Amino acid sequence: MKHLFKPAVFKSILGLLLLLLLVKVAWFVVGVLWLPTSGVEHVAQKGGKALYYRVKLTPNEVAAPTVKATKTAVKKSSGNINSIKLLAIYNASDVTVVTVEHKAKTKVLSRGDAIDGFVLEGAGNNFATFSKASKTYKVLLLKGKATGIEATAKPAPTKAPQKPKVKTAKGEVTDAGDHKVIDRSLLDHYAQNMDDIYKNIGIGEVRNGKDLAGFRITFVRKDSPFAKLDIRRDDVIKSINGQEINSYNAAFGVYKNIKDIDNLTLVIQRGKEEMELEYEIN
Amino acid sequence: MQMVKKIFITLFVVWFAFLWLMPKQELYYKLEHELAKSAIKINEKKIEEGFFTLTLREADIYAQGIKLATVEKVSLFTLLFYTHISVEKLLLDDSLKSMAPTSIENTNIIHKVWNPLNISMDAEGGFGTLSGKANLKERALRIDFNASKGIEMLKPKLKQDEKGWYYETSF
Repeated sequence: MKHLFKPAVFKSILGLLLLLLLVKVAWFVVGVLWLPTSGVEHVAQKGGKALYYRVKLTPNEVAAPTVKATKTAVKKSSGNINSIKLLAIYNASDVTVVTVEHKAKTKVLSRGDAIDGFVLEGAGNNFATFSKASKTYKVLLLKGKATGIEATAKPAPTKAPQKPKVKTAKGEVTDAGDHKVIDRSLLDHYAQNMDDIYKNIGIGEVRNGKDLAGFRITFVRKDSPFAKLDIRRDDVIKSINGQEINSYNAAFGVYKNIKDIDNLTLVIQRGKEEMELEYEIN
Repeated sequence: MQMVKKIFITLFVVWFAFLWLMPKQELYYKLEHELAKSAIKINEKKIEEGFFTLTLREADIYAQGIKLATVEKVSLFTLLFYTHISVEKLLLDDSLKSMAPTSIENTNIIHKVWNPLNISMDAEGGFGTLSGKANLKERALRIDFNASKGIEMLKPKLKQDEKGWYYETSF
């Protein structure tokens, strides 16, 4: 009987197939014993509470008419307009209210009220006008690099107003009584330079079992702007603008939107007490 | 001589079968599980297996739940003695633009068995080109930025020598 294949070739092919089978079986065993049949997918958090934004109540973009209101008694004083810092403005057609800082104290003024001899005449979107001794002074809303004071004279002023002081490039945090005012430039600086954040403030995880429950402040450098935010070591950040901070994604969401935020409300836990810290970003 | 030939053929068949029959997708899933322990997750639209390759298409990379980057194509090619990972069109999330260049066109990572303690890499993007080397023995990584532009945000982390800017770290 004649063979269809040479027995040696047949034997070799059979041997090779056996080898393939052995490798396949080996991989099958590895797969069954150690390899998963599906991967790990990232699932986006659903039902998260959106950040809320508080808005500045200035319906008029243009300057409110500087109607001469009944002036309250104006005390003559040798005060300096540079000592007045404009922290906030509420400006409507019928009422103008501003918050100013003067000699480390904040004061709320309505049109016609005076501070240090300067009478509030009106306000625009980002400035307030004061008058004193027939001169008009324009004070800009507190912002990064300048003290925000301009002076215009109704009759030509006899004395040139002081040049604006140049603040540090990073801006600063100002105490406005019930809340703090953060310079936008300061916020922008830290948004651009994350490393600078961690030089000034330490943030650690708070875990509830395996789950992240929040972030704890581990240190705050004393001479840093963070120290002026009234946050302390061991405070636990629970939420920012209504968004629970219980994941890195939630914290990063706040970071991503920080440029569009005008106000920040931090809910923190200090010891057993839960507190709300308010910040305005100018 | 015949015996040597037989041994070589057997080794070749085992090597070929080892790579060909390797459950590449399941091994990749295993890698995903390991990465998930470090809170790194990859969502890919498609996984393609070849004789020696595994390709991921349109992959989103997350770390700690934060989307870091989108990659159009990641290709892993291995012959065991030569392994090449190529990453095409990596786009970092826009929110990270203050930390790193956002677009990397091509990245190649190569390991060769005749240089087992070194992994070489190169990349090309909007920042220019870079080349790097990881020494597995010394556990050190050095990345040289060649003809680089737009790396201002990285410069605080970089060092400079006569060749130019470079990044150095240990792992």
